Amino acid sequence: MTMTHPHRPRSTRPGLQHALLLAAALLATGWAPALRAQNIDVNKALNLFQSMARPTLPAPAAPANEARTDDLVKLLSQSLSDIDEAKEIEIGRQLAAILLGSRPLYGDMALQRYVNRLGRWISLQTARPGLPWTFAVLDDAGYNAFAAPGGYVFVTKGLVDRCADESELAGILAHEITHIISKHHLKAIQKTARSGLLTQLVSSQLSRNANIPAGLSAQLISLGRDVYSKGLDQADEYEADRNGVVLSARAGLDPYGLAAVLQQLRTAAPDNPMFSLTLSTHPPAQARLDQMESAMGNRLDALSGKAGVTVAQRLARAPK
Amino acid sequence: MKFSNVCGMLIALVAAAVLAQTDAMVTRRPLELRETPDDGARSLAPLAAQTPVTRLAGRQGAWVQIRTAQGTTGWVHMFEVGPAGAPAAAPSGNAATSALRGLTGFFDKGSAPAPSSGTTSVIGIRGLGAEDIANATPNPALVSQAETYRADAEQARRFARDAALTARDVPALPAP
Repeated sequence: MTMTHPHRPRSTRPGLQHALLLAAALLATGWAPALRAQNIDVNKALNLFQSMARPTLPAPAAPANEARTDDLVKLLSQSLSDIDEAKEIEIGRQLAAILLGSRPLYGDMALQRYVNRLGRWISLQTARPGLPWTFAVLDDAGYNAFAAPGGYVFVTKGLVDRCADESELAGILAHEITHIISKHHLKAIQKTARSGLLTQLVSSQLSRNANIPAGLSAQLISLGRDVYSKGLDQADEYEADRNGVVLSARAGLDPYGLAAVLQQLRTAAPDNPMFSLTLSTHPPAQARLDQMESAMGNRLDALSGKAGVTVAQRLARAPK
Repeated sequence: MKFSNVCGMLIALVAAAVLAQTDAMVTRRPLELRETPDDGARSLAPLAAQTPVTRLAGRQGAWVQIRTAQGTTGWVHMFEVGPAGAPAAAPSGNAATSALRGLTGFFDKGSAPAPSSGTTSVIGIRGLGAEDIANATPNPALVSQAETYRADAEQARRFARDAALTARDVPALPAP
């Protein structure tokens, strides 16, 4: 079979959206600076429109609620092993609410169902198969994936579209699942909470915190915004790559899917607006590939080899 | 309609050039170009390190298909090719990166709409950015909705069976 090249427009998805995506990517690589200048006003107008369209939300959390939810932040001052699974999930729910507050769910139920089944299958091969694993596709043209404690994994629609085959998507899901198993986000927010930066973070976000719905912790939301904007420790990313490769292989998938993703990321310009957050929050793709190569060697080559099924093919075959 | 025409023309003009650019690779070490994606396959040609090659769409596991300047098409291990002339250095001077090291930069701008990352955002289209997360109002209702999408273990196993995916014992990889 032939696989679609990740950078080539696919005949199955013609139309304006794709045209705009490609145009944006091309412009970002510096091909049409003149046109870019002319479009700044359009961009400003859209930003303004988006900010006007932002819904007005109910009043901030009642004091009683706040006292309860801020117990979650107090937990962070203890050892991670003192955070039981229920609390871990509650923290994860609040962090997930930030991501879903920045982009809505993508409206294709067949795709959401597929990503959940693939992700759930991979999660069954981990040390925590019983977590309430939740996978969701965000309605965003950019390229990114996120995890939150307790089993929440998000991928953008733009990322799914750029996966040349299922093993690439599986590799990304496995990488995110590994972050959850290793509690990387809990460690990161704990580190910030203990560093004394929390007060500064919360006060710098005061105007945003007025909109936080009841039942959520302003401190936790501040910590969550911080960790998703600046990313995890580089060592945690390398670890998630390494363990994600193994996890994919354990689930019967091509372990080179994640490496193929990184090969694609390697060619993305750092200021490409579709990739900028992914690239700014992760080590350089070539460094990740080098780490992966030295960990993998040829150990897993025998577990790969078949040409992959594309996401579109899998969706077409899926039982309704 | 006119807008999409303009976009279409723009793409037609520059797509080929950019694709050529992203497909251009070099070999990272001396290697044999193989006829099929396998270490034991017949060698089509020895390639010296830093030989320019074109990456084609094909991939089978660890192997990717390439074409040499002489027009020979064959397979190499994906770790053995890299982008031509692209330094592996971290992105620097990126607006997002520098602002993020002190996230407060995003929050100090009062109620004004946050700027998009740098000057590269065009025609309002860009991916989810750090400033979107910084400005996000948490939406727990959508989390509840996402939770209704969950698959249970039995559904996942049925999916794997239909997809011919079988669990395997694979030892952990050592940290390098």
